Amino acid sequence: METTSSEASAAPAAPTLFLRNATGLVKGWSGFDAFVYSFMAVNLVTLGMFYSLAVFAYVPDASPVLSILIAAVAVTFLAIAYAGLIAVMPRAGGDYVWQTRVLDGLPGIVVGAIVGAVGFYLVSNALGLGDAVGLGAGAVGLVVGGLLGRLRGGVGFVLAATGWWFILAMWAPIYGAILKLEFFQPLAALVGWSEGVTFFGSDNGTLVVSIIVIALTAGLVALGMAGYARIQRICLYLGLIGFAIMAVLMLVFSQADFQAAFDRANQSLFGVAGAYQKTIDDAAVNDAFTGSVDPLAMGTDVVATLGAAVVMLPFMLFWILYPNWGSTLYGEVRGSGDFRKVLQGMLGGIWVTAALAIVFVLLAAKTFGWLFFNATNVNFINWFYGYTTTDPTVPIWSYPPLLASYLIDFPLFQIAMVVLFGVWFLGWSGTLFLSSTRMIFAAAFDRILPERAAEVSDQRGVPVVALLFIMVPAIVVSVLYAYSADFRALTLDATLVIAVTFLGSTVAATILPWWKPDLFNNSPIARLKVPITVASLIITLILAYVIYLWLSDPLYGIGVGNTNSIIFLGVLYGLAAIVYVVARLYRRSQGVDLDAIHAEIPAD
Amino acid sequence: MRIFFATDIHGSEVCWRKFLNAGAFHKADVLIMGGDMTGKAMVPIVESNGGWEVTLQEQGHVLATDDELLAMEKRIRDRGYYPIRLTRDELAAWSADQALVDARFKDEMLRSVEAWMALADERLGGTSIRCVVSPANDDMFEIDPIIDRAQHVQLGEANTIPLDGFTLVSTGWANPTPWNTFRELPEDELRTRIDALVATVPDRSRAIFNFHAPPYASNLDAAPQLDADMKYVAGGQALVPVGSKAVRESILEYGPALSLHGHIHEGKGAVKLGRTLAVNPGSSYEDGVLQAAIVDLDTKKGEVKRYLLING
Repeated sequence: METTSSEASAAPAAPTLFLRNATGLVKGWSGFDAFVYSFMAVNLVTLGMFYSLAVFAYVPDASPVLSILIAAVAVTFLAIAYAGLIAVMPRAGGDYVWQTRVLDGLPGIVVGAIVGAVGFYLVSNALGLGDAVGLGAGAVGLVVGGLLGRLRGGVGFVLAATGWWFILAMWAPIYGAILKLEFFQPLAALVGWSEGVTFFGSDNGTLVVSIIVIALTAGLVALGMAGYARIQRICLYLGLIGFAIMAVLMLVFSQADFQAAFDRANQSLFGVAGAYQKTIDDAAVNDAFTGSVDPLAMGTDVVATLGAAVVMLPFMLFWILYPNWGSTLYGEVRGSGDFRKVLQGMLGGIWVTAALAIVFVLLAAKTFGWLFFNATNVNFINWFYGYTTTDPTVPIWSYPPLLASYLIDFPLFQIAMVVLFGVWFLGWSGTLFLSSTRMIFAAAFDRILPERAAEVSDQRGVPVVALLFIMVPAIVVSVLYAYSADFRALTLDATLVIAVTFLGSTVAATILPWWKPDLFNNSPIARLKVPITVASLIITLILAYVIYLWLSDPLYGIGVGNTNSIIFLGVLYGLAAIVYVVARLYRRSQGVDLDAIHAEIPAD
Repeated sequence: MRIFFATDIHGSEVCWRKFLNAGAFHKADVLIMGGDMTGKAMVPIVESNGGWEVTLQEQGHVLATDDELLAMEKRIRDRGYYPIRLTRDELAAWSADQALVDARFKDEMLRSVEAWMALADERLGGTSIRCVVSPANDDMFEIDPIIDRAQHVQLGEANTIPLDGFTLVSTGWANPTPWNTFRELPEDELRTRIDALVATVPDRSRAIFNFHAPPYASNLDAAPQLDADMKYVAGGQALVPVGSKAVRESILEYGPALSLHGHIHEGKGAVKLGRTLAVNPGSSYEDGVLQAAIVDLDTKKGEVKRYLLING
């Protein structure tokens, strides 16, 4: 009977492979590169501090450290699932192709039917059509989704187009909000430009910064990943230096020092007296803030503690869901070592970030004061997302590096800190449209989008049309985001839609070893059948549960408690389905059968 | 007229078998293989205690029976590698002498192309499907006469082949690569070669170029950037154009109806250059997937009617 082992057993000192000189054979790649990409995607500052680590007040019983750890563990399973997909189908390089290849036949029908049934039911309820009509709509969605899933590539296109294209239009103004709150407003305040603080705090200012983001990220796509990779690596080093400076400041100064520094700074910048205590008092009155458990508190009721941390998970995923953002090609003559390297890169991104996040919350509790830190966040966030119309105590967000910089009463240092932390944004933002353009290319090559969508400019190879495909909707969504607090409240939809896309791929990873055994058995991870399936199944269940929470619990501001959110999601998924169906009909009229794309030619 | 074009299968036996069956499966009139047919690696299967030991993709396997041995050899061939049965002494000798390895590589490549041509004659004989095979830069020159001898396969390299009102011209020569492979030319010499080929085409608007190297900066030539140590930059995320300027300029100058390319496995795509549709179906040979382009040509109008890139 054939036996296998992870180590080469045939003459360990002897070569196990002879290579000749041929195109494309490379000596490998640096796992550190994969780590950099993953680490910048799971961005501690632009995503973590901006949102996930700032909203503990909304689940006051959730242990911050436990919440971070649970989120990191959950995403670890995602990394395993994606590393498995990359190892088996490296050149496919993305959710669109993985889902299209694996979710055919029955799995495609089932996934399509579930997405269709849930979508139609939720939209019907959001339109107030009543329970009976809702159930009927769900049944219609079941059939429509199942039929779409039966078409080869249908589910793959809908999930990938929504997650890697449409929703990234919404991420553009979210990036804009991050840049505004973490860069432009603090800088305007520090240089004494009060009109600037007001402008960037206005709807017009939000739109202008969003447009700046769109131009910047489009420019970085034009620069190309080859150039951007160098920028990203520099940003990593500078960003870590900035974090170290912040951590040292927070370590050596006391809470009393910080309170004095915060009061002094806000008196000077905005004329707010006693800002520290006033923030806490205002949060209690205006935001019903009653405090949150300390970062290390685990409580006496283990079940309640864990339950609260799980409730935090949908918030945490806004930040930590993306270690797989750079999933792509890894060469021809490869082995299981590449799988380990890919996985290590992603796990490094997750766990180094999680460790830094824990350090940060502990230092925030020590120096800023946990009560104050959460009070100032809830005080600003409630206003920013339109949960209250009462102005925040301080007109700009308490951006943690800015707070730490107040400890040194020297404006130039404070400005330098904000600028230095800006590299976390620069090293992260460039991939926003890059992923979209690649997905648009793939859909154009599959004849679902017009071939012009894949055109590149003669001189620099810039994907001009694909960029327009993403920039135009991004501008439209940016206008909505800037002028409608209701729309801003849909922020977590941006994560939900990506999570649904990832869910499609984790389902694919779960069934891959059994549904496509030839493909899997021919891969470097053939002996990892069960581990890949189990890990993928676990993250599939986690994502499904988190999506259920997003959709069902009004705590998250989206889902059934927010009609706008459901309609928005319905438009996204409906539009993707319509694009796919229209493309099929149009191509059929041209004599092009899109089913042929994935039809396997018999070998014998 | 329907063309089925695949390329860069690099020794993958399953991909070659799919290629030969593609004519019937996709109702194609002409099969065109764009080159780089031969494998890049040999996998030693070492005799041991009455059985065999082999390491594939860093996983060790002990094979106890002949059936297991044959199954493993098929798996290795389907992946594009050559399985080589060796004794431990032979393996030790190979490890010490690169000339032995090179000689065996040559034998394996020639033997596999012989077998592939025999299979093509067997499968395509008695059909009306035409088959053109054009070696490319990774293929040694000795395979050309083997292809030329096949009954039901035409050698593409440097030949002018009429196809139902169109004219196919092929070359597997490419602009220089970091690997210094068999068929590489500086851009100016490549252009001279292309010009000589095109000079034999009676109507250039009805030409079909089958040039292995893709046109420069066309998106069909985006390959992972390598550093000086031949390692991927940015984990393979950084893509740079590596195609041929001579190919690009010749397409734009002569305006053929169709231009078929390969070479860059990651460069799957189809673009318009002037009036010309240029395609690179890409390659995932190591997964046993035959990526290909199906192109329908309007023989009356002399233009591309429709196309589709497939994963067969």
